[in-house]
Amino acid sequence: MPALDGVDLDLSPGESVALLGPNGAGKTTLLGILAGADRASEGEVRAAPGRVGWVPQRPAVYGRLTARENLRLFAALEGRADPDRAAEDLIARADLGDVADRRADRLSTGTVQRLNLAVALAGEPAALLLDEPTATLSPEQRVRLWAWLGELRADRGLALIFSTQSVHEATRHADRLVVLAGGRVAFSGGVEELLAGAGEAEGDDDAAERAFLRLVEGR
Amino acid sequence: MRKLALVLGKDLRQLRRGPGLLLALVVYPLLVALIVAAALQSDERRPAIAVVNLDGSGRTVEVAGERFSVEDYLRRLGDEVTVRELGAGAADRALRDGRVSAVLTIPDGFIADLQSSVRRPALTLDTGARDPIEGAAIRRRLEAAVFRINQRLAQEYVDQVLRLVDLVLDGGRVSVFGLSGEALGLKRSLVLVERMQRELRSAGEGALADRLDRLVTFINLTSANLGLARPAAEAIRSPIELREGEVATGREPLSAFGFAGALLVSLGLAGALLAAAALSSERDDNAMVRLRRGLVSPAALVGAKVLSAAIACAAVGAALLGGVALLTSLTVGRWAWWVLALVLAGLAFGAFGVLVGAIARDTRTALLAALMAALPLLALAMLPDGGVAGALAALVPFGPAFHLFQSLLADPELTGSVGWGMAHLAALAAVFGGAAAVAVGRRPAA
Repeated sequence: MPALDGVDLDLSPGESVALLGPNGAGKTTLLGILAGADRASEGEVRAAPGRVGWVPQRPAVYGRLTARENLRLFAALEGRADPDRAAEDLIARADLGDVADRRADRLSTGTVQRLNLAVALAGEPAALLLDEPTATLSPEQRVRLWAWLGELRADRGLALIFSTQSVHEATRHADRLVVLAGGRVAFSGGVEELLAGAGEAEGDDDAAERAFLRLVEGR
Repeated sequence: MRKLALVLGKDLRQLRRGPGLLLALVVYPLLVALIVAAALQSDERRPAIAVVNLDGSGRTVEVAGERFSVEDYLRRLGDEVTVRELGAGAADRALRDGRVSAVLTIPDGFIADLQSSVRRPALTLDTGARDPIEGAAIRRRLEAAVFRINQRLAQEYVDQVLRLVDLVLDGGRVSVFGLSGEALGLKRSLVLVERMQRELRSAGEGALADRLDRLVTFINLTSANLGLARPAAEAIRSPIELREGEVATGREPLSAFGFAGALLVSLGLAGALLAAAALSSERDDNAMVRLRRGLVSPAALVGAKVLSAAIACAAVGAALLGGVALLTSLTVGRWAWWVLALVLAGLAFGAFGVLVGAIARDTRTALLAALMAALPLLALAMLPDGGVAGALAALVPFGPAFHLFQSLLADPELTGSVGWGMAHLAALAAVFGGAAAVAVGRRPAA
């Protein structure tokens, strides 16, 4: 049984898309293929990997290198003309100045996630792919991360695709929801469409949650 | 190449910051190498033997001008083996417990028998059945020691006989049983007899002088025969002469074998473990999910890991060679060849390790797998040539590396085998490195 089947997804500049789905629905697989980290047995991705920044759920940084060294290395690998300057720019934007010379394996979870995100930005991507970016963060760290992502969208027109287990997070930070179930797209559209399709009224905090569950369990 | 250099620089920096890993990956192989060197050179160890001295006389005897006592004998034995003087019971227990390799018993009356010049004193040597190889080695050492002492005594006997011959021929002072006097000698006797004959003939006593001719003939014949005694005695004393010389490039094959084995184990383990850990740690850091997105090609990634292993091997190998050159009698030269050999061996060991690291899921598994794969192959590589073991060892870097190290250490002339050995290592580095790149490219990134 394929992990993904007939998934068709497009992303507009500056758009934010949330991937929702139960465990094993294929969210991480889809993001991995879009990021170029995994290969699809069929189909194609029409974006150069360099134009897409990848934020895996488990931070992908070198623990024995400092935050600055990680950023400098990945900026150089991404082909940035001046990796040192790029690293300093990322340190400033990610607010890592105080910990820039500390080893990554000695940073707090939230700080490592910010470093993980900063590394993904080293190639100056047009879109970011984030696999459950807030799964291990505290509420305070979540707020801080989403604030930064909001700034990136506003300042640079960065498009986002993020996977999440939280319907609330999806409805709050995404322009569009894509619900995956059993490797197929079960729903794609705005929050209003999701609620309308499920016969739920707007304004109820739990309406989207119920609509999502009905959608997933109905298949 | 730029990306390969970036990853290589990162690896070396990470290695520097992981002193525990560095220590384990370098110190452990060095310790194993020391053990291997000690095992391979065990034949050069000084075995311990127990000596049971039943000759309580404490006498010193002069045999043919050579003062001799049991203590002298034990001191001479000490040049060959470590001697522990024990009682008969304690010596027997020490042999059974393996604390000594043999028991040498000096019988009661040993010195008296030696002094008699009639009875031959006998020593008894018992070796333990626990280690027949070492037992044989000790027997050879003691036979050699007894032979050397016998030879020295024989030399003294012959020298004394020859001094007597000289006395008979040339005359001189002689001292026997506390009495001393002047011996005439055959040569001076002949002069006296011939002078006497002339004087008798002058006095008309020709008949009497003629009767002395037989005495002159006897003296001449005896002198001539005794003149042959010296070369004859020399021939008896040492029927076969061994002329020893030293060639300028002379080496110690056993030490070379031991050191080549130690070098192989040390570099083989360090290179393979380091490279396996370097690649698998990319998974531990989850960095593979980024690198695999086209940031670094599998070939460049593998190349960086193989190069870091080669640099480490060359550094460790050069340190070992330098230490051996400074601290031991083993001659180490051909430094340019050595640099090339160490780098090529490091590349091949690294490629072997990277392949293991590419297949393993994490660093711990990779290290264990690399160790389990390398140890039997290292042992195979050190077996004598030929057979299935030799063929298997030639399929991995360890066999050709061992032969190459041995050749550089012990071959008086570098022949084509060194070139072939290096080409063999380069080919294996390419094959294992290529396989590792394919494995890295095919495996899921996470």
